Amino acid sequence: MDFDFSDDQEQLRDAVRKWVDKGYTFDRRREITHAGGFDRAAYTELAELGLCGLYVSEDQGGMGMGPVEGMVVMEELGRGIVLEPIQHAFIAGAVLEGYAPDALKAAWLPKIAGGEAIVVLAHQERKSRYNTHKCDAQAQQQDGQWLITGTKSMVAVGDHADAFLVPAMASGKLALFLVAKEAKGCTTSGYGTQDGGRAAELQLNQSPASLLTLDGQTALSHAVDIGIACACAEGVGVMDKTMAITVDYMNTRKQFNTTIATFQALRHRVADMKMQLELGRSMSYYASLKLNTPASERHQAMARAKYQLGNSMRYVGQQSVQLHGGIGVTDEYIVSHYFKKLTQLEMTFGDTLHHLGEVSASMQETAGVFA
Amino acid sequence: MDLAFTPEELAFREEIRAWVKANLPSEISQKVHSAMRLSRDDLQRWAKILGKKGWLGWGWPEEFGGPGWTAVQKHLFEEECALAGAPRVVPFGPVMVAPVIMAFGNAEQQKRFLPGIASGDVWWSQGYSEPGSGSDLASLKTRAERVGNKYIVNGQKTWTTLGQYGEWIFCLVRTSNEGKPQTGISFLLIDMKTPGITVRPIKLLDGECEVNEVWFDNVEVPAENLVGEENKGWNYAKHLLAHERTNIADVNRAKRELERLKRIAKTEGVYEDMRFRDEISKLEVDIVALEMLVLRVLSAEKSGKNSLDIAGLLKIKGSEIQQRYTELMMLAAGPFSLPFIFEAMDAGWQGDFPGHEVSNAPLAANYFNMRKTTIYGGSNEVQRNIVAQVVLG
Repeated sequence: MDFDFSDDQEQLRDAVRKWVDKGYTFDRRREITHAGGFDRAAYTELAELGLCGLYVSEDQGGMGMGPVEGMVVMEELGRGIVLEPIQHAFIAGAVLEGYAPDALKAAWLPKIAGGEAIVVLAHQERKSRYNTHKCDAQAQQQDGQWLITGTKSMVAVGDHADAFLVPAMASGKLALFLVAKEAKGCTTSGYGTQDGGRAAELQLNQSPASLLTLDGQTALSHAVDIGIACACAEGVGVMDKTMAITVDYMNTRKQFNTTIATFQALRHRVADMKMQLELGRSMSYYASLKLNTPASERHQAMARAKYQLGNSMRYVGQQSVQLHGGIGVTDEYIVSHYFKKLTQLEMTFGDTLHHLGEVSASMQETAGVFA
Repeated sequence: MDLAFTPEELAFREEIRAWVKANLPSEISQKVHSAMRLSRDDLQRWAKILGKKGWLGWGWPEEFGGPGWTAVQKHLFEEECALAGAPRVVPFGPVMVAPVIMAFGNAEQQKRFLPGIASGDVWWSQGYSEPGSGSDLASLKTRAERVGNKYIVNGQKTWTTLGQYGEWIFCLVRTSNEGKPQTGISFLLIDMKTPGITVRPIKLLDGECEVNEVWFDNVEVPAENLVGEENKGWNYAKHLLAHERTNIADVNRAKRELERLKRIAKTEGVYEDMRFRDEISKLEVDIVALEMLVLRVLSAEKSGKNSLDIAGLLKIKGSEIQQRYTELMMLAAGPFSLPFIFEAMDAGWQGDFPGHEVSNAPLAANYFNMRKTTIYGGSNEVQRNIVAQVVLG
């Protein structure tokens, strides 16, 4: 039992933090949002730091690291509310490494690690919401070629991605495929998202696809669980910075001839925010440290963690706006952008009520960090 | 970073588990698991069993006869005791006054007082709060006047937990009115058999007499019972509070009580009611999150890196959780938690409890009793002040 980071992990954190502070200023982020919500150049800069290959084995050109390093990276990117979806490189790296046939690995992993290919998880459908086992997309084999028909929603940077991890029903069972953007019948229509980022609708019409695994449920659950741990860690970073911005403001802003940080009603709210932040950080550690456990244990841990983070992010986000007063609801000032990121993260990879349901469904007689 | 305990720590846990299983009397653990009333004898019996093994002072260093365990080992010991259904050790002797005597008492005092605390033979009480000094403890007025080689103590303490059994009491007393209120306070050890001391139990909302008022009327205390220096008592008391830390969160007991809540919910037929189940789930996540917070503090203590100044958070969350599980247990039983049959909370009561489930008898009383947790030990509002001070300056 040890929650200290290794020297290598601290160095990784420093490298990412330095890039965020110098390379991803709020002004640059604003320009990216105005230009559509995604910047390939910024993504390439992340790749140059080696981050895109974090989960890719060294054999395939990656760093061969694990969940704790992933958490460190996501915390730091969260601090800068970075829009480029590095977590999908983690997911694609882990899923291809863990479940794909060798040819598919060799074709995609080096490109993912190098940042030349953006591969994103495209699993959400209009009716499935957060349930990974509900899927309308259909896959059929024709002359040895898999063809997929269906629509996926809220696909991260969908119209900029080079390929998609797509779950579809094959003979009544969920299977997972990889679809390249050039595939026949594959179209995307992109749009901005509330956090200033980008997503797209993905339409597949008899589109040729590479089979990743016929045990799609196992692979998809794993993918989503990595996404949950990433969202938790990112949320911690966003909350950390949100708190710092709010504390700064409270120690500067004067009303009734004194800084508003002196008012007890507000101080207690800050104490409650600190509580939510530290519970959230604790559960983010928990999520990342449980990511390599057997599926049922992992799934239960992710549900608990995301439930906590959902509550924490909502509380910290809402209160940071309230404590700022009027300036908190402007677009010009930075804190509203942190609030919107926290809001979007709550609904990313399962919202709070969804995960509460998962906790209830998997309840055992005993409970604790180790049970 | 690693969530797992080391093989040595796990072996230690097994050793503790086996010992507790072999030595904790089942009459006592059964009462704890069903929240039946514990007598003074129950508490003393378990304390002396621990004392004989040398574990009543489980947080003590070896030089004072303790086991010299690490922070993690202490945590594992507390967890195994809690899960097995051991009563909470009455903390005033081994957990509260002993560390102060070790750190600030003289060799004479250490020799005189520590053995009786370690064995469980001497029952200690705490004399801090006064009728006019609750959250503002430093305003306390109980006066100790130095006359020759004695102090003459006059005043009143209150909320003295289990003081009706107390043989000795450690008190914060005013020895000076100069300067800030904090700088005129001394730490005095007082034999409760001394003439002039009157103890009156206070009946609380659950019908039990858990706390007391203690009056001091010209009580003569030998000057050798002063711990450390005169007027430095506030510092010693703060040292004591720093010793609480993870213990105050009481997350191990919360895990045990969560299991009990699920048993009650099943018996009462609300476990399958999703609205109720979700409330249990919320509590369960709270408990896991608190346990992670506690483990983070332990890890920081172990490595000396990343010190975590979050004792206030542990107290706030721990106490809220204690209140919530008692509340949910009561709500699970619903109307069958409402009959107030005082004797039904004694183990072995032969009457027929309404609804035929005698384990429902203490649920409302436990709920009422737990309202104290957000008030005592520095109210949760005071804790929020402390947390905010760290965050905002």
